[in-house]
Amino acid sequence: MERYDLVIIGAGPAGLSAAIEAARCGMNIAVYDENKRPGGQLFKQIHKFFGSKEHHAKERGFHIGEELLAEADRLGVDVSLDTVVTGLYPGNEVMIKKGGQVSHVRGDTVLLAAGASENMAPFDGWTLPGVIGAGAAQTMMNLHGIRPGSRVLMLGSGNVGLVVSYQLLQAGCEVAAVVDAAPKIGGYGVHAAKLARCGVPFQLSSTIVRAKGGDHVEGAVIGRMDEHGKIIPGSETEIDCDTICIAVGLSPMNQLARMSGCRMEQNPKKGGCVPVCNEYGETSVRGLFAAGDAEGIEEASSAMIEGRIAGIACANRLGFLEDGKAKEAVESNEQALDTLRQGMFAPKNRGKQIEKTDEGFPVSQHLLVTGFLGDDEVEVYPGVTHPKGLHPVIECTQNIPCNPCQDACPHGCIHIGSFITALPAVEASAECIGCGRCVASCSGQAIFLVNEDIGGGYASVTMPYEFMPLPEKGDIGLACSRDGQAIGEAEVLDVKSVKAFDHTNLLTIRVPAELSGKARFYKAAQQ
Amino acid sequence: MTQITDRSMRTAAFKPEADDDMLICRCEEITKGEIRRAVYEGMYEITEIRRWLRVGMGLCQGQTCTKLVQRIVAKELGVSPAQLESAAARGPVRPIEMACMGNEKGGVC
Ligand SMILES: Cc1cc2nc3c(=O)[nH]c(=O)nc-3n(C[C@H](O)[C@H](O)[C@H](O)COP(=O)(O)OP(=O)(O)OC[C@H]3O[C@@H](n4cnc5c(N)ncnc54)[C@H](O)[C@@H]3O)c2cc1C
Ligand code: SF4
Ligand code: SF4
Repeated sequence: MERYDLVIIGAGPAGLSAAIEAARCGMNIAVYDENKRPGGQLFKQIHKFFGSKEHHAKERGFHIGEELLAEADRLGVDVSLDTVVTGLYPGNEVMIKKGGQVSHVRGDTVLLAAGASENMAPFDGWTLPGVIGAGAAQTMMNLHGIRPGSRVLMLGSGNVGLVVSYQLLQAGCEVAAVVDAAPKIGGYGVHAAKLARCGVPFQLSSTIVRAKGGDHVEGAVIGRMDEHGKIIPGSETEIDCDTICIAVGLSPMNQLARMSGCRMEQNPKKGGCVPVCNEYGETSVRGLFAAGDAEGIEEASSAMIEGRIAGIACANRLGFLEDGKAKEAVESNEQALDTLRQGMFAPKNRGKQIEKTDEGFPVSQHLLVTGFLGDDEVEVYPGVTHPKGLHPVIECTQNIPCNPCQDACPHGCIHIGSFITALPAVEASAECIGCGRCVASCSGQAIFLVNEDIGGGYASVTMPYEFMPLPEKGDIGLACSRDGQAIGEAEVLDVKSVKAFDHTNLLTIRVPAELSGKARFYKAAQQ
Repeated sequence: MTQITDRSMRTAAFKPEADDDMLICRCEEITKGEIRRAVYEGMYEITEIRRWLRVGMGLCQGQTCTKLVQRIVAKELGVSPAQLESAAARGPVRPIEMACMGNEKGGVC
């Protein structure tokens, strides 16, 4: 039986990061993944990530994946693709299937980094073709270039539901509505606001009663729920759609962990049944580690750090890295992990009702229910000011771990401080030169450049724009408000597409001056 | 974890529900009604229900329905899903052809 210092199951962000750390220490590693391509979920993520520089913030997910792969390659890590791990036995013996053959290998240490699977929500008709997981929709669009349908109903308003809905719009689908059983939108307000300004409605405290159709989805019936989760009779409405996308959470992949006999726990904060791990990710079975979504559902950014910690711990366990160095490396990674796990959406705050931001500003309830900030509400936040001339307006109003906007501004106009969950504030003393870097760097597309008076009774608004076809200078179209309603005529003054902005185009429109605080999206006139 | 061991806990009769014919395990085509009925026939553990009905033993190996089955059984028993022990996990965790199983590199040790 072949023997390795470290066997890694899954070549997603967690597995690859562990492989990189372990390879740096000179370990002999095997990495297995059942996919045809390494990178796990990362290659489906075409949006820019949150976090700070050290977490690759403002980079698109698939770019982060490419960087990880290049680094792994450089260190000579060999990922065995199309290889399914089918069993994990005592003594950290791993059974693999490749081609038509099974074989067994042994790892002196083994890392479970198998990720997660999507939860399903059963309703009448949920097995009809056209009902798909949000992850599947993402795979179709972003890996295979196939539009999953033309009019999609999204069930689930967590970040996955919000991000995939936006990507569906980018792929040219209509999103009929985002439906959620909870009374509040589960994901980041900035993600919800991107959808709302495109006109996507949210229907909360509601669920799908029935998918309609004979041999494929031809519509859906949704109903409002009472406090016991029962459909209120008479509240049912019909929604016209040909696809229903389910984004109701992920569950850690746990069969291999359960097979290994390590201690497991049901942990709702981690998304289900997960191995009990110590701070290095080691399970109760000596030498068996877990990291990433398999250890608890979180994000790619945290999966990478957990993977690194596990890689370091494995190297230390087998004597490839001395105690002092290992401790130091683990500690700095733990700090990075800790900064990600702060803010309103942190695992520890799940399910809590938060009414005020850390700074004491009221949390917009309107945003949580409709997906957009009220015109007056937005005025209280520190990112929204009205100096003369061109200036940024930052509509980022929840404490989330994110700060690329602060790093982006060469003139120090945007301040977050050292605590990355703080709300971005506009510095009154700094002068904005209108370079647009902040707009393009904002993962939440929440920054606009506004000049409230460009003369002749007009204002200009610059917004991030990631749709095709791009409008052209001189086009006349419609200015839309935060809820996607057309509120006036807009003339396109400029469209800026710069390589450094990484496909976030900066669209500047001219609107009547009184719309400067309301116009946040642009639609071509014929739509 | 509190385990359900009291086999005499249920005395009420099975009551059909409107959505009993909804498929829960799509791979093995097992409905919600069949799962609920199994509970009334005295099967309180996920492992027992799995052996009896083959839920979670199809192509996806329970990846889709495990949580759903757990929720249905827990509701019938009036306990939280976390109180139910998961079914035992056994290799192969993904379906493999028998020919492939027989074709072990280096032979069977
Ligand atoms: C729609 C969506 C949007 C997201 N957006 C963000 C975001 O903006 N920022 C962020 O940080 N995170 C985001 N995430 C989350 C992020 O993608 C995941 O948390 C992350 O990919 C988890 O990494 P991982 O390495 O644990 O697992 P994965 O990336 O899932 O990788 C696991 C790998 O293991 C392989 N595998 C599993 N079982 C086996 C087996 N038995 N044998 C062989 N191989 C196996 C799989 O093929 C897969 O390649 C998003 C997720 C989704 C679905
Ligand atoms: S446009 Fe440029 S100068 Fe102005 S706030 Fe943004 S990054 Fe700073
Ligand atoms: S405004 Fe800053 S902190 Fe808020 S989402 Fe954008 S980049 Fe992140």
